Amino acid sequence: MQTTAEQIEQDLLRPLFHSSGKYWIAVAIATSLLLAGVAAFGYQLYAGIGVWGLNSPVFWAFDITNFVFWIGISHAGTLISAILRLTNATWRRPVTRCAEAITVFSVLIGAIIPLCHIGRPWLAYWMIPYPSERHIWPNFRSPLAWDFFAISTYLTGSTTFLYLPTIPDFAAVRDVSTGLRKKIYRVLALGWQGTPRQWQRLEVAMHIMAVVIVPVAVSVHTIVSWDFAMTLVPMWHSSIFGPYFVAGAIFSGIAALILAMALLRKFLHLEQYLRPIHFENLGKLLLTMSLLWFYFTFAERLTAWYGNSPPEMAVFWESIRKNFAPLFWTMVVCNFIIPVPILAIKRLRTITGTAIASATVVVGMWLERFLIVVPALEHKFLPYSWGTYRPTWVEDTLMASSFGMMALLYLLFSKFVPMISIWEMKVGLQSHAGVPMVAPAEGQVALEGPQ
Amino acid sequence: MAHKWGMVVDLDRCTGCEACVVACHAENNIPTAGEDQAARGRAKHWIRVERYWEGDFPNPRVRFQPVLCQQCDEAPCEPVCPTYASYHTPEGLNSQVYNRCIGTRFCANACPYNVRFFNFYNPEWDKPLQLQLNPDVSVRSVGVMEKCTFCVQRIKAAEIQAEAEKRELKDGEFTTACAQSCPSKALIFGDLNDSASEVARLASSNRGTKLLGELGTKPNVTYLERGTWEDANHG
Amino acid sequence: MERRDFIKISALSGVMATLEGCRSAEKQLIRFVPEEELIPGIATIKPSVCTVCSAGCGLLVRVMQGEAEVVRHGQQGLIKMGLAKKLEGNPQHPVNQGKLCARGQASLQLLYHPDRITHPIKRIGPRGSGEFQAISWDDALKEVSAHLGTLQASGSANSLAFLSRPLSGQRGELITKFLKTYGAPPPGWYQPFDEAVLRQANLLSFGHAALPTFDLASADYVICFGADFLGTWNSPVAQSIGYGEMRQGRPGRRAKLVQIEARMSQTGANADEWIACRPGMEGVLALGIAHIILAEKLAPQGAGSRPGPLIAGWQEGLPGYAPEAVEKQTGVSAVVIKRLAHELTQSGSAVAMIGGPPLAHTNGLFNALAVNALESLVDKQSVLSFTPQVGDAAPVQASLAALHGLSAQPPQMLLLYEANPVFSAPPSARVREALAKIPYIVSFGSFIDETSAQADLILPDHAALESWVDNVAESGSSRAVASLAPPAVLPLHDTRPMADVLLGLGRQLGGEVAKALPWATYDAMLRAAFVPLRTRPGSIDVKTDDDFWDAAQTQGGWWSSTSTTPPGAAVKRAPLSAASPEFAGAAADFPFYFLPYVSQSFGDGSLAHLPWLQELPDVLTSAMWSSWVEINPKTGDRLGIKQGDLVEIASQQGTVRAAAVLSPGIAPDMVAMPVGQGHENFTRFASGRGANPLSILAPLTEQETGSLAWAATRVKIARAGGPEQARLVLFAGGMSGFPHEEQPR
Repeated sequence: MQTTAEQIEQDLLRPLFHSSGKYWIAVAIATSLLLAGVAAFGYQLYAGIGVWGLNSPVFWAFDITNFVFWIGISHAGTLISAILRLTNATWRRPVTRCAEAITVFSVLIGAIIPLCHIGRPWLAYWMIPYPSERHIWPNFRSPLAWDFFAISTYLTGSTTFLYLPTIPDFAAVRDVSTGLRKKIYRVLALGWQGTPRQWQRLEVAMHIMAVVIVPVAVSVHTIVSWDFAMTLVPMWHSSIFGPYFVAGAIFSGIAALILAMALLRKFLHLEQYLRPIHFENLGKLLLTMSLLWFYFTFAERLTAWYGNSPPEMAVFWESIRKNFAPLFWTMVVCNFIIPVPILAIKRLRTITGTAIASATVVVGMWLERFLIVVPALEHKFLPYSWGTYRPTWVEDTLMASSFGMMALLYLLFSKFVPMISIWEMKVGLQSHAGVPMVAPAEGQVALEGPQ
Repeated sequence: MAHKWGMVVDLDRCTGCEACVVACHAENNIPTAGEDQAARGRAKHWIRVERYWEGDFPNPRVRFQPVLCQQCDEAPCEPVCPTYASYHTPEGLNSQVYNRCIGTRFCANACPYNVRFFNFYNPEWDKPLQLQLNPDVSVRSVGVMEKCTFCVQRIKAAEIQAEAEKRELKDGEFTTACAQSCPSKALIFGDLNDSASEVARLASSNRGTKLLGELGTKPNVTYLERGTWEDANHG
Repeated sequence: MERRDFIKISALSGVMATLEGCRSAEKQLIRFVPEEELIPGIATIKPSVCTVCSAGCGLLVRVMQGEAEVVRHGQQGLIKMGLAKKLEGNPQHPVNQGKLCARGQASLQLLYHPDRITHPIKRIGPRGSGEFQAISWDDALKEVSAHLGTLQASGSANSLAFLSRPLSGQRGELITKFLKTYGAPPPGWYQPFDEAVLRQANLLSFGHAALPTFDLASADYVICFGADFLGTWNSPVAQSIGYGEMRQGRPGRRAKLVQIEARMSQTGANADEWIACRPGMEGVLALGIAHIILAEKLAPQGAGSRPGPLIAGWQEGLPGYAPEAVEKQTGVSAVVIKRLAHELTQSGSAVAMIGGPPLAHTNGLFNALAVNALESLVDKQSVLSFTPQVGDAAPVQASLAALHGLSAQPPQMLLLYEANPVFSAPPSARVREALAKIPYIVSFGSFIDETSAQADLILPDHAALESWVDNVAESGSSRAVASLAPPAVLPLHDTRPMADVLLGLGRQLGGEVAKALPWATYDAMLRAAFVPLRTRPGSIDVKTDDDFWDAAQTQGGWWSSTSTTPPGAAVKRAPLSAASPEFAGAAADFPFYFLPYVSQSFGDGSLAHLPWLQELPDVLTSAMWSSWVEINPKTGDRLGIKQGDLVEIASQQGTVRAAAVLSPGIAPDMVAMPVGQGHENFTRFASGRGANPLSILAPLTEQETGSLAWAATRVKIARAGGPEQARLVLFAGGMSGFPHEEQPR
C-alpha cells in the first residue's frame, strides 16, 4: 500500500489519541516501580544512607554504576540523531525522535541519581556555582563539579535538540485537536505555521544543535569517566577511560535504542515505519561498537597484565578468575560472544536478532560499569583494608525504579508526542516508498509540512 | 614560621597494643558501630593497626603498621571534593569541614590509605554514654565524612593558649590522643617546621620511609623501619 | 562539698522542683542545683588510679561540666555536673609514666555504661531469673545488718564469706580486718589467670613472693618464655615503655627479643626471633640453654648459684639436659639452643622471663624455677628486680581454694565483690551449684553478670572514678608505689562506695569490728594509712600530715625515692626434678592442645561489656564483636575447615563453638581461643555473644601450688557449619559472611 502523507499522519498520531489496554498496564507497572523507588528513597532519607550496602572501602557501587549506565544509554540519541543528520543519512528519519527521547530521559535519570546518592541530598545545591553568602564556590578542580556542568549542559542541549524537531509535529497535533488538548499543543507548537522563514530557522537551529551536541556528548561521558580515572585507585587510573567510556556509552546507547524501537514497532504498530533496514543499519553500528568495545577492553586488560603492577594485578585477578569472575565472563558473553555472530551474519541480523543482541548488550554494559567500580574499590593499596560489597534491597529497588522511570517517561512521551517525526517522514516520501531520499540541501527550503 | 604538623610512627617501637585506637575513639567522639554495622564493614577506626603475616609456622613473622590520615601535602582527597569540604590548612593539615560535606564520598575512594570514614547513619549513644563526649569535638551527623584530624582541637587549644600568653608553642607541650597514650612511644607528633622538635629530628632519620610514597601524595607521616637483628638463620 | 550540704540542697531543690512540677502542665525535666562549681568549657584535670588490671597505673581524668539526666530522691531531673571526658596516664606516676593501655583508656565507659545498676535492688523472683525490685539504701542496709547481726549472735560468724578479686592497698586491708574482727574466715580472693605459680617460684628462687619488675630499658637481650608482656601480662604499660626504650631509645644500641611460645601472642609478633616450643616443655628448654652455658663456662663464676640448685642436677651441670635430649622433648633444634646460649651470654645485659601459658601446666612451678635459674645465670645487670613494698603485707593473690571452700563448706552468707567465678572458673569448681546452697548472697557489683545475677541483694558500688581509690603496685616500678586518688566526679546514680558501706555495717555491728574500723568514711581510713609514709624518703616532702595528705591526693599517690630491690636469697628446699606436663584427655581422642588466652580487648573477660573494647579489632586476627578459635592453616586444610567456618571444640568437660580463624602463628597440634566472650548475662554489649573457653577447662592443677593448669586441656575439633552460621566479624578482609577467599596477608 502506498504510504501517503495522510496515512503517515494518521499512523503516527494514532497513539496520541488511542491507547490499548496493554499500554495502561505498562504504565501501571512502570509507575509502581517508580513509586517503589520513591518510597525506598524516602526510607533512605529517613534512616540514612546506611540502608544501602556501601561500606568502607566500597563507598560507591550500585549508585555510580547506575549513574554511568544511564548517562551511557543517553549516547544513543546524540549519535544517531546528530551524526546521522550531519552525514545526511536519510534512513535515520524514523529513528531520530525515539533516540533523542531516550537521550533526554536517560540523562535526566542519570542526573537524578547523584542527587539521591550523596549523604546530604538537601545540600546538593552547593554544587551550583552561585555567589553564596559564605564567599565559597564549588571546587572546580573536582570531576564531580565537571559532571555537574557537563550533565546540565547535556541535559539542556539534548532537551533542546529533542524539542526543536517536535515543533512542527506539535503543530500537527494542534491542528487536529480540540479543547484542552488544542490549548496545550498550541503552547507547545510555539506558534508554528510552517512558513518558509520558520522552516529555515528551524533547519539552522537543528544544524547548530547537531554540531554542538556531538562534542558535548563526547565530553560528558569523558568527564564521567574521569570520576574514576582522576583518582589513583588501581585499575581506575588509566588514560584509556575517556575513549573507553565514550565507546561503551555509544555501544549501550545503540543497544537501548534498538530495544526501544523493537518495542515501539510492535506495540504502536509502526511496522511500516520501523523497517528491517533500520534494524539492519543499527545492527551494523552495534556490531562495530561491539568490536570496538572488545578492542578497548582487551587493550586495557592486556597492558595491566603485562605491566604486572601488584596493586593492579590484585584487582585484575579479582575480575578474571576470583570473586568477580562469573560476572566478568558473563559480561564478555553478553557484550561480544552473543552479539557478534548475530550481528555479523546477515541471516541472523533480523529485527528479533538485533533485539536479542541488544538486550544482552544492555545487561553486559551494566555489568561492565559494575565491574569497573566495585572490584577496584574493594582492593586498593593496603591489603589489610580490602573489603567486600553486597547490595541491599534498597539499592535493588532504586535500580529497578530507574528502569521504571525510564519506561514511564517513554510511555508518557509516546502518548503526548508522535514517536516518529511526522514531518521528516513526509520529507522522505518524496522518494519511492522505503528508499531514503537525500535530505534538502543546505539553504534549500522543504515545502512539505502540514497543509 | 608557620607550624607544619607531622607525625612519626616508629615501627620498631610499635607493639600492636592498640591503645592509640581506643584513645582516639574516646577523644574524638567516634560512634561505635555495633556488631551488625561492623559486620557490614562500617566500623570507624580513625587510626588502625594493620597486621601483615609473612611466612608460615614454625617461622611466621608479623608486621604491625599503624595507619592514620597521612595529612598529605598532595592529598588526592582534596581536588576531588566538589564542595571544598576536604581542604588543606595553612598549617599542613588535611581538614575535613563537616558542615560543608554533602557526602559524595569521592574523597574516600580517592584516598589510597583508606583512612576516611563515612557516617552511614546518625550516630547514637546508649544513654548515658553520651556524657563522655568531648565538647571540643563536633559530633558528625549522617551523610558526612570524617577522619583523623591530628586532634586539631588540641592543636587549636594549645595555639590559643600560647597566643594568650604571648609566647611560642613548645615542642611536647601538647600532643595527639594516640601519641599521648602510646606506651612504647611509637607515635611522635609535633611541628615539622621546628627543627628542634623531636618529630623533625626523627622524620629525617635514615630509617624513615613514607607509606605509599611512590604515589606522590607527600604524606606528613614518616614511618621508621622496624629494625632487624642480624639475619637469624636457624643454624 | 560536704554530704550534709548536698542532702540539704538537693532536698531543697527537690521541694522546689516538686512545686515547679505542680505548676507546669507538661512533664518537663526539672533542674537540680549543681553540687559543685565548674566553669563550662574549661577542663579540670584530676588524678585517679586505674583499677582494671593489677598493674595499678596512675590516671589523669579530664573533667568538664556537662548536663546529666539523674534521679535524686526518686525525682528525675537534669543536673550540671563534672563529667569525665578522657583518661590519660599520669606522667608523674612511676609505673606508667603518662602512658595508658587500650583497656585503661576504655575503662572510662565503666562510669557511663547504660547497664550500670543505678540503685540497690532486691531479688523477687527465683535466683538467676533476673527479677529484681528497687529497694532503698536504708532498707537494704537494715536487711544486711540484720543478717550479719543474726549470724554473729548465733555463733555462726565463721559462716560469713567474702569473695573478691585480689585487692591491694587499703580496700584489701578493710575487707580482711572486717572479716577477722567479725570472726569470719579470711577473704577468698579469686580471679582467673592469677600468677600464683610465678609468685611461689619467685619466692623460692629470689626470696620475693611477688611478680617481677623488669628494667627493659637497660636490656640488650630479652628471652621470654610465653609471657605476653607487651599485651596483658603483669604490668604491660610499664613493660611497653621499657620495650620502646630498649628498641630505639639508646642510639646505636638495640635489644633483641626472643619469644618462646606455641601460639604467637601480641608480644611474640614483635619478636626478632619467634621459637615454637612444645607446650609445658619451656622449663626443659631453659635448662637446655643453661646446660650449654654451664658446660662451656659462658657465664661468670658463681652466676646462678642461688636459684640454680633448686633444679635437680644443677650442681652436676644439668646432665639430663644435653641439647639433643632437649631437642627431642621441646621440638627446638639443638643448633638453636646452642646459639641462644651464646647470644644470651655475649650480650651486654640479658634477662630471661616467664609468664602465662608455661606456668599453667601441671609442671608450671618447675618451668618457672628453670627459667628463674637461667635468668640468674645470664642477668648480670639486674634487669629483673622486685618493686619495693609499701607496707609489710605480702601481695594478695588468688587461689582456687577460695572457690573450693564455697563448695566444700557452704557459708550462710556470702558477700561478692568484683569477681565473676560463675563465668571464669572452670566447670570443676561447680560455682553455680555452690552458690545455690548459700542461703543469702549480697553483691556490691555495678553490673549484673553471671555471678551477681545469683545474688539476693545488690548494693551497687560507685564506679572507680566516683570513688576514693588506692592501690599498691606489686610490680612495674623500681620505687614503692602507693597510688591514691579522691573521686574525680560526683556520683551519677544512687550508688555507694563498697568501702563506706562496709565501714557503716561495721559501725552497726559494734564490738570488735567497730573498734578495728573506727572511720566513718573510707577516705579517713586511707588518710590514716597514708600519713605514716610522710617520714619515708619519697616523692612528697612536707612538714605536716595535712600537707602530706593534700599533696598525695594531688599527685595521685606517694612513691618512694629508693630504687630497685634486687633478687634476694633463694629458699633452701629439695631440688625439683623435671616432670612432664600432664594433659586432660588422651591424645588419641583429643588431638589438640587447647589454649585459652588473656584477651587484648577483654583481659580476663571482665571488660567484655565495654563497647569500645568489643569494637576494638584484635590486632592479630582483626576480629570484633566475635569469638574465634585460631587454627593452623594446614590443620584447617586437613579437617576441611575454611576461614570463618563454624567449628565445634570439645574437651572432656564440654563443648564450645566459635568461628575458625586460620593463623600461621599457631602450632598445627594446638588451637587457641581468646577469653572474654561467651557471657550469658553481662549487659547488652556482651550477653549472648560468642563462646567462653574457660567453660571447657579440665580441673588439672599445678602440682605444688594447686593453681589451675589452664593450658593443660586437650580438645578435638570438627567443622560445624559455614561462615553465615559463625558470623565472624573482621575489620580486615570484608563483610561478615562474604569475606575474601583468603585473609589478606
